[in-house]
Amino acid sequence: MKYRYWLMNVKGISETDKRALSERLGGAREVFFAAEQRIGQIIGAKKAGEVVRQRGAWELDGAYRRFAEAGVTMVTQEDRSYPLLLRRIHQAPYGLYVSGTLPPEDADLTAIVGARRCSPYGRQMAEELAGALAGRGFSVVSGMARGIDGAAHRGCLAGGALTVAVLGCGVDVCYPKEHEKLCRVIRNNGCILSEFPPGTPPLAYHFPQRNRIISGMASRVIVVEAQEKSGSLITAELALEQGRDVYAVPGRVTDPLSAGCNRLIWQGAEPILSVEEFIGGLCGDRGKNAAKEAAKQEKIFLEKEETLVYSCFDLYPKSVDSVCEETGMDLLRLLSVIMDLCDKGFLREYVKNQYVRCR
Amino acid sequence: MYSLVHTAALCGIDSRMVSVEADISDGMPLFEMVGFLAAEVKEAKERVRTALKNSGYHLPIKRITLNFSPANIRKSGAAFDLPVAVALLAAMGVVKKDDLAHILLAGEVTLDGKVAAVDGILPMVMAARENGMDTCIVPEDNHEEAALVPGMRVVAVGDLSEAEAFLNRGEYREKSRAPKEKKQGKTYDFSMLNGQKLLRRSCEVAISGMHNMLLVGPPGAGKTMAAKCIPSILPPMTEEEQLELSKIYSACGMFGEREGLMESRPFRSPHHTVSEQGLTGGGAVPRPGEISLAHGGILFLDELTEFRKSTLEILRQPLEEKKIRISRASGVYCFPADFVLVAAMNPCDCGYYPDLEKCRCTMASVRRHVQKLSRPLVDRIDICTRVDALPYRELSGGRQENETSAQIRERVVRVHAIQRERFAGTQIRFNSAIPADVLPIFCALGSRESAYMESLYERMELTARSYHKILRVARTIADMDGQERIAVRHLQEASCYRSLGREYWEECL
Repeated sequence: MKYRYWLMNVKGISETDKRALSERLGGAREVFFAAEQRIGQIIGAKKAGEVVRQRGAWELDGAYRRFAEAGVTMVTQEDRSYPLLLRRIHQAPYGLYVSGTLPPEDADLTAIVGARRCSPYGRQMAEELAGALAGRGFSVVSGMARGIDGAAHRGCLAGGALTVAVLGCGVDVCYPKEHEKLCRVIRNNGCILSEFPPGTPPLAYHFPQRNRIISGMASRVIVVEAQEKSGSLITAELALEQGRDVYAVPGRVTDPLSAGCNRLIWQGAEPILSVEEFIGGLCGDRGKNAAKEAAKQEKIFLEKEETLVYSCFDLYPKSVDSVCEETGMDLLRLLSVIMDLCDKGFLREYVKNQYVRCR
Repeated sequence: MYSLVHTAALCGIDSRMVSVEADISDGMPLFEMVGFLAAEVKEAKERVRTALKNSGYHLPIKRITLNFSPANIRKSGAAFDLPVAVALLAAMGVVKKDDLAHILLAGEVTLDGKVAAVDGILPMVMAARENGMDTCIVPEDNHEEAALVPGMRVVAVGDLSEAEAFLNRGEYREKSRAPKEKKQGKTYDFSMLNGQKLLRRSCEVAISGMHNMLLVGPPGAGKTMAAKCIPSILPPMTEEEQLELSKIYSACGMFGEREGLMESRPFRSPHHTVSEQGLTGGGAVPRPGEISLAHGGILFLDELTEFRKSTLEILRQPLEEKKIRISRASGVYCFPADFVLVAAMNPCDCGYYPDLEKCRCTMASVRRHVQKLSRPLVDRIDICTRVDALPYRELSGGRQENETSAQIRERVVRVHAIQRERFAGTQIRFNSAIPADVLPIFCALGSRESAYMESLYERMELTARSYHKILRVARTIADMDGQERIAVRHLQEASCYRSLGREYWEECL
């Protein structure tokens, strides 16, 4: 293991080089002891010198012991537990640091990515999609960022499935800070991965790099809310290069937060028209009917006034006053109806006195 | 020759009687004043000496001693000039001493012998009346203020010779003062506020139960406007309240030249740079601060998040006790501070959250913004309302048939009467002040209502404190509805006004 740890930390050669070395020479240990000339035959003399120089550059035994004691594990391409799909992508990382338990080899992962600054609509869609996927036994992989990523993890956990977070910093670094609790829950219900050694701070250039792992691990990528020229679109592009299915959640034409998604759809990504239909499509017709059944059963009878008020709200926060204006209802009656709807779980207070639909 | 005159020293907003003794005797020429005097009182020596000379009286070249008693309270302010001058004149035998025992004197003297206005005349004259005096000689410009105290003869003098004329010969001609034009400040009325139904309603609820209130909304939505309208729906002040408020303003020198007591309830809106002392009152001899100036009215804190945290923390005690106690070396001063706190703030740094088209703030910065408030302070605010900008058609609707403040005030007065009746014989005055231990008595819930509150408690993750707040507000709403029993709809409305959620302060998944 010690030598694998060393190979993971060798700088100056690409991930592909590391993989080639370990495959051709038969393991990290052999790489460590191989002659410079032999290494040079595989990756070129210049880089071979670089590798050899790093053999004695740091004290391997102590560093490895400290690493092992920190409670973080690692998985390399020499291990069988290395994610299968990830192994096949271009520039697949030679090794990953892991905090938590890796999903089983045959796990079917779905990546859900999107904007950090998202609307309640995006958050809700991410949560619902992740929850529905989890309900069907799919795990969700995302980046644990604010906004859509966090919502996707939450939805997946709430649906009872394992979730995988791929970070752009060390696995022991919680970024963003407000996700500390989420971070703990994911460690116990899935895992946190990173190709960066423990303790690495979150630097801007790490993130596009880690995006390839998110899409690489998954068999399909869903983009929920993305502006044009955003990191989520980079992930979508990488996913296409890696041959993954790309789905996008459509949004309003006027909403800059959905512009990226809508463009993806124009470019040929499959739009997600409803959660049920999407899940049905994944699981075949049987699932589709079941989902419809479930939706039917859940329908709760609303009173006339409640239906009227409910129809005024959508997934973008709306104030009491504007609904009062729209419906012409008495303010006090309206407040009472809104609270009833909140009670029944149809509405939710998004910020003070502004409400959004829950379903 | 010895003489003694009476005056009063301002202590906070109350006054204590002080007597000034003067003695002129043989010996080395000397002018000495003793009796725990502040610098400005010691300076009276020079002012009075020159003023007497310029008024045509000559101080004898003798040993002159003045004593202020009681000696244990510190005398400060400019009001001692006139008593010193008259005590000297009496000791010199220029004025008769006979009547001085029941006359109060107060005023500042200028070098040419004129008598200038001073702060705190109202509490001084009130103290004089309590001590059995019947006449007061005050500066001309303080005439109206002194005349507010019934049963006192007010002699307003313009200079020292007028005072001498009155004391010697009883000559006093009341000057006919041109009635001043009543300065009518801009008055705000709820009829000016278009639309904003929720805001209007919550203001009415807040004032009906005297609940503290927080308005959250983007800039320009009408938070300040609404706050300025609120004094117009407060019930009129009783004479007792007017007198108390007038005393505070008089002590601060803010009484102005109004005729009659302060009739309208105060609306104070200190800037967010206000210091702790500015807010609560302070100084070596404490003067009332903004919270006391807002006594009986509204203290409006605009941009609540911009106030210094330590300044806001200070509000916690007066909000509970309705008064502020300030301890200084010179003693403990207690100022009344029974106000309704109305605060306004933006939801985030730029002010537009959650409108993502305008707001560029991250969730973290939104939380940081709200976290600038202290939770204990927010816990003392019962009603929190979101104020949103009006759509154009409501704004442009001209003056629609909006309800006027007078109409709202009528209802508020009725609800206050209900509360007076309910709390008769207790310390409580309004629903907002019901202590938690007697809440089950005054806010009894039926089985349906308590079942509703139970579900609410779980769904909204309420704390005990926020649960109590909802009950108090529901009590007020039920009173407004004319119902003795709190119904589910009252609880529902009350829960709409509940304070900012704990999600801003606590970690959530």
